[in-house]
Amino acid sequence: MKSITYILSAIIGAAALSGCQETVQLDLKQTPPKVVIEGQVTNHPGYQSVKISRSVDFYSSGQSPRITNATVIVTDSDGNEIEFVHNPNNHPDSAGVYIPSPSFVGEIGKTYSLRVSVGSEIFEASDKMVSVIDMDSLKYRINEDEREDPKTDGKFYELLMYAKEPQNESNFYLFKFYRNDSLTTYGDTDIYYSDDKYLAENIDGVTSPIYYAPQDKGKVEMYSLSRVGYVFFNDLSTLLNNDGGGMFGPIPSTPRTNLTNGALGFFQVSAVNSIEITVEE
Amino acid sequence: MIRFLTVLTFVLLSFTARSQQKVTINGYVKDAANGEELIGVGVYIPQLKAGTVTNAYGFYAITVPPGSYEIVFSYMGYTPYTYKGELTTNVSQNIEMETEAKVIQEVVVTEKRVDENVFDVQMSRNTVDLARIKKLPALFGEVDIIKNVQMLPGVVSAGEGTSAFFVRGGSADQNLILIDEAPVYDPSHLFGLFSVFNADVIKDSDLYKGGIPPRFGGRLSSILDVRTKDGNNKNFGVTGGIGTLATRVAVEGPLKKEKSSFILSGRRSYADIFLKASGEETDIYFYDINAKVNWRQSNKNRFFVAAYAGRDVLKLDDQFGFGWGNMTATFRWNHLFNDKLFSNISVIGSNFDYKLEIEDEVQGFKWTSNLQELSMKADLSYAISANNELSFGYHLTGRRFSPGEIGPNTEGSMFTELKQQHMYALDHALYIGNQQRVNDQLSFDYGVRLSIFQNMGKGYVYKYEDPQDPIGKNRTDTLHYDGWETIKSYVNLEPRVGIRYMFKEGQSLKLSYNRMVQNTHLVSASTVPVPFNTWNPSNYYLKPQIADQFAVGYFRNFKDNMFEASTEVFYKDINNVTDFADNADLFFNEDLSTEYRQGDSWAYGAEFMVNKTSGRLTGMVSYTLSKVERKIPEVNGGKTFDANYDRRNSLNIQAAYDLNPKWTFGASFTYNTGRPITLGSGKWEYGQYNPDIITERNGYRLPDFHRLDLSATLTPKKNANRRWKGQWIFAIYNVYNRKNPFTIYTRTKQDDDGNIIGDGRQKEARLVYLFPILPSVTYNFKF
Repeated sequence: MKSITYILSAIIGAAALSGCQETVQLDLKQTPPKVVIEGQVTNHPGYQSVKISRSVDFYSSGQSPRITNATVIVTDSDGNEIEFVHNPNNHPDSAGVYIPSPSFVGEIGKTYSLRVSVGSEIFEASDKMVSVIDMDSLKYRINEDEREDPKTDGKFYELLMYAKEPQNESNFYLFKFYRNDSLTTYGDTDIYYSDDKYLAENIDGVTSPIYYAPQDKGKVEMYSLSRVGYVFFNDLSTLLNNDGGGMFGPIPSTPRTNLTNGALGFFQVSAVNSIEITVEE
Repeated sequence: MIRFLTVLTFVLLSFTARSQQKVTINGYVKDAANGEELIGVGVYIPQLKAGTVTNAYGFYAITVPPGSYEIVFSYMGYTPYTYKGELTTNVSQNIEMETEAKVIQEVVVTEKRVDENVFDVQMSRNTVDLARIKKLPALFGEVDIIKNVQMLPGVVSAGEGTSAFFVRGGSADQNLILIDEAPVYDPSHLFGLFSVFNADVIKDSDLYKGGIPPRFGGRLSSILDVRTKDGNNKNFGVTGGIGTLATRVAVEGPLKKEKSSFILSGRRSYADIFLKASGEETDIYFYDINAKVNWRQSNKNRFFVAAYAGRDVLKLDDQFGFGWGNMTATFRWNHLFNDKLFSNISVIGSNFDYKLEIEDEVQGFKWTSNLQELSMKADLSYAISANNELSFGYHLTGRRFSPGEIGPNTEGSMFTELKQQHMYALDHALYIGNQQRVNDQLSFDYGVRLSIFQNMGKGYVYKYEDPQDPIGKNRTDTLHYDGWETIKSYVNLEPRVGIRYMFKEGQSLKLSYNRMVQNTHLVSASTVPVPFNTWNPSNYYLKPQIADQFAVGYFRNFKDNMFEASTEVFYKDINNVTDFADNADLFFNEDLSTEYRQGDSWAYGAEFMVNKTSGRLTGMVSYTLSKVERKIPEVNGGKTFDANYDRRNSLNIQAAYDLNPKWTFGASFTYNTGRPITLGSGKWEYGQYNPDIITERNGYRLPDFHRLDLSATLTPKKNANRRWKGQWIFAIYNVYNRKNPFTIYTRTKQDDDGNIIGDGRQKEARLVYLFPILPSVTYNFKF
C-alpha cells in the first residue's frame, strides 16, 4: 500500500519532471565519512553476514572503502555469542563482509544483538526475528502492456503470487525477486516492502514488479521485518525516490535505524521463505 | 478582556449619545454600466477631512453634523463622482460611477481624488488590479489571480507552475483563500499550473498580509478575499475566451431590471479532447463553474446566493484514476436595520475532497477523503459619526474532517477496508472593532477577536508511552468521547491594532500589530501542498498556531495620485508552528499525533512598491528583502533552518502600455533568490542502493529564478460599431528561454534513455525546469 504514495509521488513527480532536465554539477559540502553497517541474521543457512564500510563523496566512483579490521559479535537472547570474522575465504568481492564462524542460523522468536567495534568506536543494534508467511503458490502469465513495450527485450511474463495473510497480527514484509538467481528490481531504486494493515486475508495473484522470459527461473523471497525494520526500509525508499528537496514530496532525511552511535545502515533480523518457478512458453 | 470590553462599550455609548444630533448619508456605489456594486470606493468629505470606503458589498454610510457638504467618491479606473447636498435629515443615496473613458492623452483629473493608499488606516493590503492583469502575459494565456498574487510585495512562490503562495514568511497553509466568503482548501488545478479562479467572473480580490481586520481569522499569514461579479443588472451579455488550454464562457443579465441579476460561468480545459482524438487512453481535465443570483429588494434588504464547483480529473490508461475538487456555496443577506446599522448575515458551506482509484482485479482499491465546513456569520457595522465606525460580529463554524477511507473495489482485491476516524471541530469567533478618526492627521483602527475552538467527539484519542515516538508508537490507553463531547478546547484573544498618521498632504506613516490564531493544520511535509493532503484540527496533541506580526509603513502618492508608493517593514513571530518529524509517515497513519512537531518560526523583511494607476502606461514595481527561519524540536536535529520558502530577494515588475485603441502591450518580469533545498553531502552503500547522506535540512539553494514574459493585445477597430467585440491576446512566456530551476534531484548515473552507465555506483544531480519559451494565443469575446 506504500505503493499508493509511491504512485502518487511518481505521478506528480512525472508531471513535474516531464518538464525538461539536465545534469548539473553540484558544489556540495564536505562531510566526514560515516560508518555504514549492513547486518543480516535470518533462519536461512548462509544468509548471515555483516558488511561494514564508510560513506564517500557524492561524486566518487567505485566501491566505497571497506572496514576490514572491525570486531563483530552477535549475541542471541539466550546469551549465546557468535563471532563474525572478516572474509575468511578471502573472496575479493567480500572485502568488508563478516560472516559467522562457526556458521549458524537464527531462530524465530529470538532477539539478536549486534556489537561492532571499529577502533575505539562501538556500534550496537538489536532486532527480533518474527515469523513470515508461507507463499501458497506461484504462477505466471503474459503482461500485455509489457509485451507491447518491454523494458528488457523478450521479458514480459509476470509472476502471480498467492498467499494467506494472517489478519489477527501486525506484520511487515520485505520481498526480493530473483531472475535466474540474480537479485533484480524494476527501477534501480525500487524496494519492495509492505505493511499488512491494508491487506485482506486472501492474496490471490499479486503480480511481480519484474518480468521474465521463457525458461527464466523466477524466485521470490519473503522476509519478515520488525516494526523498526519496516521504518528503515520505508525511510530508505523515500530517500532514494525523493523528488528533490521536498517540492511535492517529503524533505529527504537520514533513514531511522536500530544502530547506535550515528552509524548508517541497519541490522536486519528476518525469517525467510522462498518459492520459485520456471517460466514455460 | 472583560475590562477592555467594558471600556469599549462605554466609549461607544458615549459616541452614540453624542451622535444624536447627527445625520447619516448611506447607500450603494455601483458601476453605471452594469450595476455591479463597487468594493473599496473612497468616500471622502474634504470639508471634514474625513471619509470611509464602501464595504465588501458596495455599501457606505457616514454620519456627520447637519450641513451642506460635498462628498467625493473615487475609485481606481473610474471618473470621480462628487455629490453635493444639504444634509438635514438622513439621506439614502446610491451612486453610479462611470469608467474612465479610454483616452489616449494622460488623464487630467480635475476633482481631488481620495488617495486611499495614503489615507486608509489599513496597511499591508494589496489589490490585484484585474483590469491590468488582463493586459499582461499569462502562462498558456490563462489569466490567473494567484500567479499575480505571487508577484505582490511580501509574497513569494515555491516555483513556477505552482498555486501555492507564501506571505511574509508564512507557509502555504497559512493563507485563508476565500471565494465569496467561502474558504477554498485547495486552490489548484493541474497540480498548481492554474488556480481555481476564473478571472472573467472576479470582481475584486484583496490580499491582507498584515494589520488584518478582526472580522477575519483562522489563518496566520494572509487572507485572500476574492469576490465574484453579481451579474449585470441592466443588460444581458455573454463573455468568453478560447485559450491554448481552456475555454470559458460567462452569461449574465438582469432577471428584473436594476433589481435582480444572475451570472453563470464555466471554464474547462480541453487537452483531453486532443489526447482522445489521438487515441490516447489518458484523460486529464479540469473545470470550474461559478453561479450567482441576487435580488436587491431595496437598499434595506438584498439577497445573494453564490456557488462554486471545480474539479480536476486525471485518468491514466483506464486504470489509474485521481481527482480532487472544491465546492462552495454562500447565501448572503444584507440588511439595513437603520441608516447607520448595516448587517450581513451569511451561511456558508465548503467541501474539499479527493479520491484515488486503481482498477485492477487484485491490486484494485479506492481511496477517498474529504473536509466539510459549514458556517454562519453575522457581521455588522455601525456608522456612529464621521469619526467612528464600529464593526462587530459573530461567526460559528463547524468542520468535519474525513482523513481517509480505503477499500477494495473488486471482489478479488488484496485490500481490506480501512477507515480513519472522522474528526470534528466547532469554532466560535466574536469580534469588535472601531475605526476612529482622532484628528486630521491621526486615525486608529483597533479591535479584538475572541476565538473559542473545540475539538469534539465522537472519537477516540490514543495515549502513548512516549507521545513523540513514531517508531515504537506504544499505545497505553484509549480515551473515548461521545458525540459533541469536548476533547480539547482552546480559547484565544487576538488583538488587532492599526494607526495611520498623515503628517503631510499625500504622505502617511502607518503602524499595525495583529495576532492571528490557526486551528486547522495541513498535514504535509512538502513545500507545495498537493491535493491529496489532509487537514487536522487542533486536538488533544496539536496546539493552535499563533502568530504575532508588527508592521510599519510609509505611504506616499505622487503626481496627483498617479503614482502610489509604499514601503513596509515587518516582523512576524509564530509560536507552535506545525511541522512534522524527520521521515514522518503522514499517509494513513492512525498514530499521526506521534509525528506532530510544533516549534518556532520567525520572519522579517522590508517591502517596497510603486504602483502607477493611471495613464497610458500603468504598472507596478515591487521588491522584497526578507528572511524566514524555523526551529523545531526533533526536526533538523533541533537546529535552526531556513524555511522551505525562504527567498532573500524578490523583484517583480509589471507594465501595461496602451499604444492606441487597437494595441496594448504588456510585460512582466520576475526575479527571485533560489529556494532552499535539501541535498546530500555524500553517499553510502546499502545492498545495491546508493542513498545520499543528508546532513542538514535546506542546506543548499537552487539557482536564482528570473523570467520575462511579453504580451500584445489586439482590439480590432471594427469593434466599436458592432455588438460582437473580439480581442486577440498574443503572449510569449519566458522570452529569453531561461532554464529556470524547479527542483534538483539525484539518481544513479544514466544516459538519456535511462540506461545505467558507469559502475552503477556513480551518481549525478539533475536539474528540472518546467517551461521553455512558450508562445500562446487567446481569443476573447463579448456580446
